[in-house]
Amino acid sequence: MKNKKNRIKRSLEIIPGVLSWGIILLLVLLSAWKPVLCAAVIITFDFYWIIRTLYLTTLLIMAHHKLYRQRHRDWLADCRAAGNGRDWERIYQLVVFPVYKEGLDILRPSLASLKECSYPKERMVVVVSFEERHLLSRETAATLEAEFKDCFGGYISTSHPDNLPNEARTKGANATWAAKKGKEFISARNIPYDDVIISCFDADTCVDPGYFGCLTYHFITNPRPHQASYQPIPVYNNNIWHAPSFARLVEISASFCQMIESMRVEKFVTFSSHSMSFKTLVKIDYWPLNMVSDDSVVYWRAFLFYNGHYRVVPLYITVSMDAAYGDSLWKTVRMQYMQKRRWAWGIENFPFLVTGFMNNRFISLPQKIRKSFQLLESHITWAVWAIIITLIAPLPILLGGSFFIQMPISYNLPRIAGILLNCTLASSLVWILLSRIILPPRPKGVKWIKNVVMIVEWVIVPLIILILGSVPALDAQTRLMFGKYMEFYATEKKRRRSA
Amino acid sequence: MSNEQRIRAFLFYSSVVIFCAGLPLLLSFAFGYKFDRRTFKFSRTGLFYLKTQPPGADVYLDKILLDGKTPLTLNELLPGNYEVRVELHGYYPWSEDVTIEESKITRLDKVILFPIRNNLKKINKSSVAYFYLDRERDAVYYLDGPERILYRCGLEGERRVPMAKLPALQSQKVKYVFSVDRNKLLYFSSSQIGVVYLQQRREPSPERSPFILDYPQSDIRDVFWHSDSFHLVIVTSRSVEVMEATPRSFPIVLAKLNRRDVQAYYDTGGDTLWFLDQEKTPEGETHGNLYKLELDSRTSPLYELIKIKNEE
Repeated sequence: MKNKKNRIKRSLEIIPGVLSWGIILLLVLLSAWKPVLCAAVIITFDFYWIIRTLYLTTLLIMAHHKLYRQRHRDWLADCRAAGNGRDWERIYQLVVFPVYKEGLDILRPSLASLKECSYPKERMVVVVSFEERHLLSRETAATLEAEFKDCFGGYISTSHPDNLPNEARTKGANATWAAKKGKEFISARNIPYDDVIISCFDADTCVDPGYFGCLTYHFITNPRPHQASYQPIPVYNNNIWHAPSFARLVEISASFCQMIESMRVEKFVTFSSHSMSFKTLVKIDYWPLNMVSDDSVVYWRAFLFYNGHYRVVPLYITVSMDAAYGDSLWKTVRMQYMQKRRWAWGIENFPFLVTGFMNNRFISLPQKIRKSFQLLESHITWAVWAIIITLIAPLPILLGGSFFIQMPISYNLPRIAGILLNCTLASSLVWILLSRIILPPRPKGVKWIKNVVMIVEWVIVPLIILILGSVPALDAQTRLMFGKYMEFYATEKKRRRSA
Repeated sequence: MSNEQRIRAFLFYSSVVIFCAGLPLLLSFAFGYKFDRRTFKFSRTGLFYLKTQPPGADVYLDKILLDGKTPLTLNELLPGNYEVRVELHGYYPWSEDVTIEESKITRLDKVILFPIRNNLKKINKSSVAYFYLDRERDAVYYLDGPERILYRCGLEGERRVPMAKLPALQSQKVKYVFSVDRNKLLYFSSSQIGVVYLQQRREPSPERSPFILDYPQSDIRDVFWHSDSFHLVIVTSRSVEVMEATPRSFPIVLAKLNRRDVQAYYDTGGDTLWFLDQEKTPEGETHGNLYKLELDSRTSPLYELIKIKNEE
């Protein structure tokens, strides 16, 4: 029985890689054997891509508008109005920070941002969970405890032991450890789990002062508050002015993708720093202990637990994190690549979800098919789109031979591709404009010319698309296909203080 | 349904409609179809690409001036014959009847327009009997006929320098051959061979003086420079000989020939002489043969032979 389950799981792990590589190889072969058909497929894909880009850019504008409109909203006043001054006052915030090697320069601003929040501190419990295997963290833990112990209703500094049974070295394992420590604290004070919202933040997450007000408002106004995760908009503003162009553009694009996803609620899945009902988290047995993409798996676990009646509520408020970059361009590219590959490892959710669906009789078949397809389609598209647009598009002309060169489509293919991609560039102008609006003010010590650089740098977007567009996703799917499972790669964070 | 959801749904379905409606149009355009508004039908067309050198010429299609200048692409041309005329001020017009085939590109990308006033320039100052263009050095060598002086100048006739005075041969029918290093000029008639050095040293040397060899007995068919620019390979009606290009050198006979009108080709790259000769078979019949004579210092004892001969 177990062997059969393993075989099914392996088959499902192989599917994404086979499909992505199949599409790429099929198009390469078609470009030589059936160049006319290949050119037609490429034109169709290019057209689909431009329509999709324009549609998503419109969603981005809408999301941005919502974010902009709600930025000065007094959420606590809304909470009082919504719950007749009662409901919100019983809500406790349990905030967990799974920490690996991050030092004081990263953690102190994160905790300080919690301290600056408008939410009543006596109803906030903070758990900072360090990895025991990282010995240097003890000193950091002691320093932070001395600084922040009295700032919140509860402050727990803990060390997650190494090599616990059934655990891999993942962020999810540490987050689960932290949540269980928080549970002990909450249980000891007889706080009902129903009244606790847990937020799992990356170590570099600095929240907006109104974050917990916003979260509480959405929680108490939700008819099914425990059947939802709450996802803020991640921005990488902590060090955005100091990050090199390459890293900055990638992170801004990642923020925009999250904003777009927030508008497509039926496909929205938790990502990075997020919040949810503590009661639900306990019921679904916390975050996974041995999966890299813990942030999204926890959503699917809850989705399966509630038989499909679970969703992600977008919060139009930002949490700010660090852009990942290294000392040199090469290191920056490598770090970004590793981070994107870790994100793309979210494809491990596909076998998890499908096997979960196979064991669930309460979710309807159309919903199972829809959700599985959405997950698979998004990852397959991620793995092939940039390769099709940049590398496969010229192949029919290069490999098509003299017969193809005589066809009008051989002449029209590059022209149509050029026109369509110019439309994409037009949408990039919108992205440039919006990127300026979500930027924090220019820190002291950063020259004004950086404003110009941050506009001009968008010309390297095609290069980024080529390097980071599809390759990390294809890499992740290939590894999964061959059963070379990834370990959690903690992105090293670097922050330079302004003068 | 909230307003936001309505807007999103509208955007989504609009995108689907645009995609579904636009894709057939886009693909039909890509495949060269044209929608005929009169008949409400798609008809297959061809594509015509015209590129001229120089570019920027006006294009007339069936005597109608088209928008745009070369290089020019005409999409959606109905299949058939068209008269294409290209005009550019200062150049001869070009015209041709072109057949446009459906679903095909007709390419005319090698059209050269020639200027009406040719850029003709006289390089020499007096009568020229021979010239040689040295692209490696961007130089022209020419022989002034009456004075028998070899000049060298730039490609535009500038920086003219006298290189050597050529002693006259008895015959007027002369061939000229530069050595591989371009430092010597060989010229020969059917009975004489002359060699001049083009780079004279400050102090005159008898070794580098011009000289003429007489061949009264045999008819000189061809003379070649060895790749070392020092030896001459001489093909006469009687033999193949080799000698140093110095006044006191003696020729060495490498092969005796039977055929008087021998054909020869010298491959400087491999220092090999190819020649056509004939032999008599024991039955008394003549038999034509192609011979290959290797004169490369690495493969032949030529240099040893010359050394021995000179020592004698």
